[in-house]
Amino acid sequence: MTSARLSGGGGFVTYTAAMAILLFIVAPLAVIVALSVSELNFATFPPKGFTLAWYAKVLSDAAFRHSFVVSILIALGATTISLCLGLPAAYALDRWKVPSAGVIRTLLLSPMILPILITGLALLKLFSQTRMRDASINLLIGHILVTLPYVVRTITVSLELVDRTLEEAALTLGASPVRAFVRVTVPQLVPGIAAGCLFAFMISFDDYPISMWLGDAEYVPLPVYLHDSLTRLFDPSIAATSSLMILTGILAVVGLEKIVGLRRAMGV
Amino acid sequence: MTLASTADQSMANAKPRRGRQALRVSIGMILLLPALGFLLVFLVIPSLSLLSASVLTQSGSGDIGLPVTFANYDRLLFSSAYQKVVLRTMSISVWTSLISIVLAYPLAMVIAYGRPSLSRLTMVLVVAPLVVSVIVRCYGWQLLLGNNRAGVLNWLIALVFRNRATIKLMYTEWAVIIASVHVFLPLIVLPIATSLARINPSLVEAARMLGAPPWRAFLRVTLPLSVPGLTAGVTIVFALTASSFVTPQMLGGTNASMLGILLEQQAMTVFDWPMTGAIASVMVAIALCSNAASTWIIGLLTRRGQLGGRK
Repeated sequence: MTSARLSGGGGFVTYTAAMAILLFIVAPLAVIVALSVSELNFATFPPKGFTLAWYAKVLSDAAFRHSFVVSILIALGATTISLCLGLPAAYALDRWKVPSAGVIRTLLLSPMILPILITGLALLKLFSQTRMRDASINLLIGHILVTLPYVVRTITVSLELVDRTLEEAALTLGASPVRAFVRVTVPQLVPGIAAGCLFAFMISFDDYPISMWLGDAEYVPLPVYLHDSLTRLFDPSIAATSSLMILTGILAVVGLEKIVGLRRAMGV
Repeated sequence: MTLASTADQSMANAKPRRGRQALRVSIGMILLLPALGFLLVFLVIPSLSLLSASVLTQSGSGDIGLPVTFANYDRLLFSSAYQKVVLRTMSISVWTSLISIVLAYPLAMVIAYGRPSLSRLTMVLVVAPLVVSVIVRCYGWQLLLGNNRAGVLNWLIALVFRNRATIKLMYTEWAVIIASVHVFLPLIVLPIATSLARINPSLVEAARMLGAPPWRAFLRVTLPLSVPGLTAGVTIVFALTASSFVTPQMLGGTNASMLGILLEQQAMTVFDWPMTGAIASVMVAIALCSNAASTWIIGLLTRRGQLGGRK
């Protein structure tokens, strides 16, 4: 039945258009990867030869490695804390009869609606007024704001998909509410939450608009490092750094596909 | 108000219902407290402080206080230099949204109705760029659109047409629009695909059996039924393009500056906090208005019951 819905002349036109648009989506990433192995000293097209020297240069660069570690640690910390804040909140909205739940849910998801650039600037102003100078903590707080709505949304969807009758069966059979939650509800939530956390991790790992306000000379997240390199480096090592970030993204997509399937992870 | 939904649970112990209700509410509030407290301290208060500076006056020493003034909004919206940036931001966002709609439908159709293998491939290629930093993607567009022969597009043109003419797209509004479409396209494809997947297939079959050609069945049946996903997607694309910083900064240069660029200059170079607040308020207003409009349209359609086949 599904295949019948996209067949004949209309189907052919749709497939052809879709393939052309996919080419448009892949082109900028493919060009970067192609230039990252070029033997030329400038990142210009067409690439020539094949070398992994630019990757060696990037990986041996202390500043790159430091930025990579900073980005990973911030993303891990922000995702973990978002989970600690978001799980009880989403659970409360779903199961406990909280008044004006709609308003609270909107507030929890609002960092997604507000321009991130302004969220970051507002934080910068707050931190300078209150003399909070530790960039690592400031970055962490900023990244929690970015990741929290994604975590809350994923957990809310996962909670809605939980089979309530199983929980009721556990209660009827004599389990305490806490035991029923831990042994019956949580195992049903885990795949969805894991996928949500992975996505939130990538949102933080790739973030630029928050980090550009809150980073300092010591704590330079990877996207900021890359952006700064663009103005001073013109060799393919930038393409190599970018390719490593593309690789991280591909690994994340594979992870999402393996955990719950890409369509469910994206809510399609 | 929620007694009806808890009635089945509390049937056995009807007497302590009121007390249990209060207990449920307080436990719920305790669970919500950490997240709400965090948002209050680090989102609500700082944002209000930033936005409220827009109607205040900055003294020579940099202190912000009374008197209240609307001069910054007046300057932003009506002086020609600033007004140009506001209008350009709107026009870039509108073009990005329109092009995204056209490009999103074929991809969403393949994801929702295509052969499983192609649907899967499309889904992977649509989602993958979403988890690649916007800096990387804009760098890719810099390489593609470069104004001299080193740009991939110009290299291709030279290869195919063998002439010396080069197209100069880099540092124009169109470079920003092209990159913005690329950056935000996944965010409109996914909601449209969700809407399409929910359409009852027999509606399209009925149209076809009654003699409608495929394009007509698409325009009269599929397209109207996918409006909820379309509305949600267009809202996201429009709002995010209007508040973007990286794409105009990396591809627009000085010729295609947008509100986000203006915001950064006023905050980090000019240190004019009231003007920064005014720009931020306009950007927040654009985001909130487009969200309110989309919620209203989707609500209207749902009430009219046009969303046949929706769960």
